[in-house]
Amino acid sequence: MNMNMEETATVWSLLKSDLRPIEDVVAEFNSKFPRDRRFTACNSLSLLLQARALASLLPLNFLPLLGPDLMLLRSTDRIIAFAIMYQCYPSEKPSVNPFVSDMMNAACNEQVEKHERAFILHLLQWNSYNKSKEILKLSAVDYIKSFDPSTHDFPELGELQREYGDKAGSGPSSHIAADYAVKKLLHDPDVPRGCDPNSPEFDVQPGGNPKIGCGDRDEAVTGILGSLTTGGLAPRWIRPCPPRYPVHQSELLWIDPDNKHELIWDDKMCADTSRGATVRDLLVKGLKVTLSPSEQEDITTALANDAKLVYHCGITPRKLPQLVEHNPQIAVEILTKLINSPEIVDYFTALVSMDMSLHSMEVVNRLTTAVELPKEFIRMYITNCISSCENAKQDKYMQNRLVRLVCVFLQSLIRNNIIDVKDLFIEVQAFCIDFSRIREAAGLFRLLKTLE
Amino acid sequence: MDSISSDAARDGSICDEAIVLSVTSALAKDALSYFQSGKFHECIDILIQLNHKKRNDPKVLHNIAIAEYFKNACSNSKKLLEDLNTVKKQSEEFAKEPLEAVNPGSNVSVSKHQFDSTITTLNIAVTWFHLHQYAKCLSILDPLFLNIEPLDETIALQICFLMLDSALACHDAVKFLEVFGHLDKSFGVGFGTHEEIGSTMQLSSNQVSKTSSLLSSSAASDALKSDLAAAESGLCEEGLEYDNVLAEIEAEKRMKPVGHIPANNLLKTIGERSILTVDVKLELQLYKVRFLLLTRNVKLAKREVKHAMNIAQKRDSSMALLLKSQLEYAHGNHRKAIKLLLVSGIQKELRTSGIFNNNLGCIYYQLGKYQAASVLFSKALRNCSSLRKDNPVKLFSLSQDKSLLITYNCGVLYLACGKPLLAAQCFQKASLVFCRQPLLWLRIAECCILALQKGLLEEGNTSSDRSEIRVHVIGKGKWRQLMMEENGFVELGGSAQWPKLSLPLARVCLSNSMYLLNVSLMNDYSKSDLESPLSVMINETKEASWSDHGDADTNSELKEAKGGMNQDIIQNSLSAYKDIRRRENHLLKQALLANMAYVELELENPIKALSAANSLLQLPDCSKIYVFLGHIYAAEALCLLNRPGEAGAHLSAYLLGQEDFKLPFAQEDFDPWRMNMSSDCEETSDCSTGNARDSLKPEEARGALFANLAALFATQGHYDQARPFIQHALALLPSNVQATITAVYIDLMVGRSQDAVARLKQCTRVSFVPGRLEVRAS
Repeated sequence: MNMNMEETATVWSLLKSDLRPIEDVVAEFNSKFPRDRRFTACNSLSLLLQARALASLLPLNFLPLLGPDLMLLRSTDRIIAFAIMYQCYPSEKPSVNPFVSDMMNAACNEQVEKHERAFILHLLQWNSYNKSKEILKLSAVDYIKSFDPSTHDFPELGELQREYGDKAGSGPSSHIAADYAVKKLLHDPDVPRGCDPNSPEFDVQPGGNPKIGCGDRDEAVTGILGSLTTGGLAPRWIRPCPPRYPVHQSELLWIDPDNKHELIWDDKMCADTSRGATVRDLLVKGLKVTLSPSEQEDITTALANDAKLVYHCGITPRKLPQLVEHNPQIAVEILTKLINSPEIVDYFTALVSMDMSLHSMEVVNRLTTAVELPKEFIRMYITNCISSCENAKQDKYMQNRLVRLVCVFLQSLIRNNIIDVKDLFIEVQAFCIDFSRIREAAGLFRLLKTLE
Repeated sequence: MDSISSDAARDGSICDEAIVLSVTSALAKDALSYFQSGKFHECIDILIQLNHKKRNDPKVLHNIAIAEYFKNACSNSKKLLEDLNTVKKQSEEFAKEPLEAVNPGSNVSVSKHQFDSTITTLNIAVTWFHLHQYAKCLSILDPLFLNIEPLDETIALQICFLMLDSALACHDAVKFLEVFGHLDKSFGVGFGTHEEIGSTMQLSSNQVSKTSSLLSSSAASDALKSDLAAAESGLCEEGLEYDNVLAEIEAEKRMKPVGHIPANNLLKTIGERSILTVDVKLELQLYKVRFLLLTRNVKLAKREVKHAMNIAQKRDSSMALLLKSQLEYAHGNHRKAIKLLLVSGIQKELRTSGIFNNNLGCIYYQLGKYQAASVLFSKALRNCSSLRKDNPVKLFSLSQDKSLLITYNCGVLYLACGKPLLAAQCFQKASLVFCRQPLLWLRIAECCILALQKGLLEEGNTSSDRSEIRVHVIGKGKWRQLMMEENGFVELGGSAQWPKLSLPLARVCLSNSMYLLNVSLMNDYSKSDLESPLSVMINETKEASWSDHGDADTNSELKEAKGGMNQDIIQNSLSAYKDIRRRENHLLKQALLANMAYVELELENPIKALSAANSLLQLPDCSKIYVFLGHIYAAEALCLLNRPGEAGAHLSAYLLGQEDFKLPFAQEDFDPWRMNMSSDCEETSDCSTGNARDSLKPEEARGALFANLAALFATQGHYDQARPFIQHALALLPSNVQATITAVYIDLMVGRSQDAVARLKQCTRVSFVPGRLEVRAS
């Protein structure tokens, strides 16, 4: 953000052009600095100009440090600097100018030379100060020479602020810290206090040997111009860096040679698809007729030899009722093997919802001893049986037969501890009472009573 | 007439089919034998013939894809995936048609069989596994697992093992248990089918921890004992530097491997290996140990690994030894871990030497020997790259390529050594595997911050980088819509070039990490609703194991002593692990928010910094360190936002009386970091210093409080109040730049510029630079 060497030299030479019309100097500034660099340059000028203004503004006295007369810029330099700062933003209202507050402060400062204050007021076109056009045609030296200090009265800061200050912020600052920033320029206190820098005593004499303690004002000014940056010295916060997230020992990757998971050749390609074909054909037959014992044995051995064959034998839940009706033993065999299948529920559902018959009951009864059946399934099946009995009213003979079957079935389930009577007590009891005329129902009722 | 002719036609076609079938099955056999002998050109020729005969048979196309892949030395995984996916889609379409069209009859199941895409799916999953996309692999296998009963046993086992490995890689303990439970049911190697062995083991494990002697407890054979003894004698107790490791390895090489069967399950080549020849029982026992290691149930793992050693005794014990080594590593017994690693013998195999070096590097990192660890990691990487070159056709070269994992380890190491640029390169490479892990992104952000501290960041953050809101204009005319960009996951890496390290990159990484963390937390919550049986059990045991993992261990042991409810042990392990994960995620969240606040302050964005700091402070059960950082960042942000009053409130939370600050946290507060190191861990001090080495000291934090309160007073113009605080700060932090500047500022404002300059001269970190301009005569 600070100016480079070339820019500094340009500004410096412009400030020294006190014999040229101020207008020309400003025009040259505008031509040499592209818009985006002007702010930086003006900011440096503003800081230089404030070397004194700052001292008087501070509530605590900064003045003795700098010395009353220690101004880095000569009067002519200051005139030119103000002109440049003002003319940088010519098309806009003064209140938009970021440096207008600096100017107002200078214009109202009693310690600033009157010609300088008047010059600023002309620039700002305050009330009767309206001769800026003429003044800018003069050179800085001529303006100071022609200045008549007696004819001027100066406004209060408040008046100026009312006029221009509403919108004028306090300069380029982005946050509170910058508002309170102290300007970074600091006079080296090792320089003795009483020393008058304006006296020629310590200036470098051309051709002479430099004395100890002598210095060159130009050197100081260019040095400052070159190293000033925008923004001031503000209190700084300590911002501790967050600690690194701890490395847990499990974050480092301990590598374990994994099982070699390899691509697999599909050996079913063009393979003999007759796997289980005989079984499948037999089962298709078994959906319609009862199979002969030897045929049944073929199926049983084939299923026993190939544990997964049952999944490929073509019996779907939909076909299960037919198989149950014609070949209950085979159906039991298949269902037992399918017990781990995810589809077993579908098979059970098919079994429950098929018409009640001796065979279906046989299948269920044998299943209960062979595998562990889900409780809901058994309950549902029993409920289904009971309602089948009640619905078979037209055919008394058939009904009697069914009821006796159900009773025997239930007794067997209860004796084998397959069902918990408590779950079905009321339902079964009602059933027994309904059909108490049938001997087996009465027997079941007595069994229930003993268990109570 | 019609029926007769159609019958004849059918007979004819059946006859043709039979002929075709015999020809094709002969060809298929040839193709397989060529494939197995590695003659992929010939194999493909035959497959193409087959494809002519059987148009679009998915299985033929599938095998062509596989053979092509091997022919090209396993180089083009992308094409393989594309091919396999096409085959899969095709067979699924075929499978639908006949089911609808054909009447119930025998050929339904035939065609079903023909178009079964299980193997294709499995191969897709295998490929993703080797591309390190474990979550994807799991999600592909899930449907197969749901319907695993009908599958052939070999295929089913392969699916299950692949799922187990993927679940381990994803740290998905729940999924692991689901699959393991199935295997357990089918093959009957459960947790605790060996009660007796277990109880005796427990006895001896107590002895171990007391005497800390490996030999007395080892269930291994005498030969193994002698191996161990030799390894131990070769081990220099004091310096565990790299040279010593080399010496150990040399010594170990000279030893005869008596009674030690080489790692033959690592050596099997394709085709030879039928999964049934692998000892399923041993494998399952090893997986059990891996699960316990994953859930960090060290005690139980110790017991189970001994059982594994017993099973492996007469066979191949290298894997069991390796797991034992990992167990000791997890336990913090690094010397034992080194011994076991050496005895496992995996360094002898070309395939596994990289793994050996990596694991040894991990141990050395934990010991704080970064130099040695770095040598070992680079060696491991060299092993991997030589493997890639040497073995093009030795099949899954990919699978053995662990270089990305090792690269991640390198990243962690470089970050610890203070080399952010190298570390970031490693992490960025490893992002191919870990891009869904929040921790990776935090690490990259940490690289950026470390680089900032070291002055390695190039200042060139363009304004577009800093703009945070993007509004997309979509549509035209009256349909024009504005869409605010969501703060979601920003895809970095992949094929695209990684941006240079910068603060905006850190910001993106942190927000990615936070996003992924939130996603994973959300998944955890929603999952726990679904997994009905598990979640019930977890809820029951949660309270019991809430306080500490150690408690959970004792709990499980108690329960087992009572009646051996093994399922409980597993569930306890699982819930304790979930607890650990929850705590880790909580800590990660704190770290992310603190880093966010810091980065936003650095990017001069106090509003965002404030919101991150506030979220940090609102987290329940926050670590004291992060509470402190939250306060201090919030205070600075508030000051920058012209709200000095609130800023003061944050700082004065730590005030003791009028003018003193208490320590905001203690050194012990860094301890929760190492949450589940067990008490009998031998080398704890090493790892703790490794972590806390360059972190914030409590005294420094106190100094920062003084300095910042002084700065706050100074900005408000209360110089008199500020002065004592800045004095305290400088007493604690004499050469701190920020505190010195604040002190200079205060001096200047109260008009003591003499003091200010004196202060500048005293401070060791001030340099007086001569002016850079020459005077130019004008």
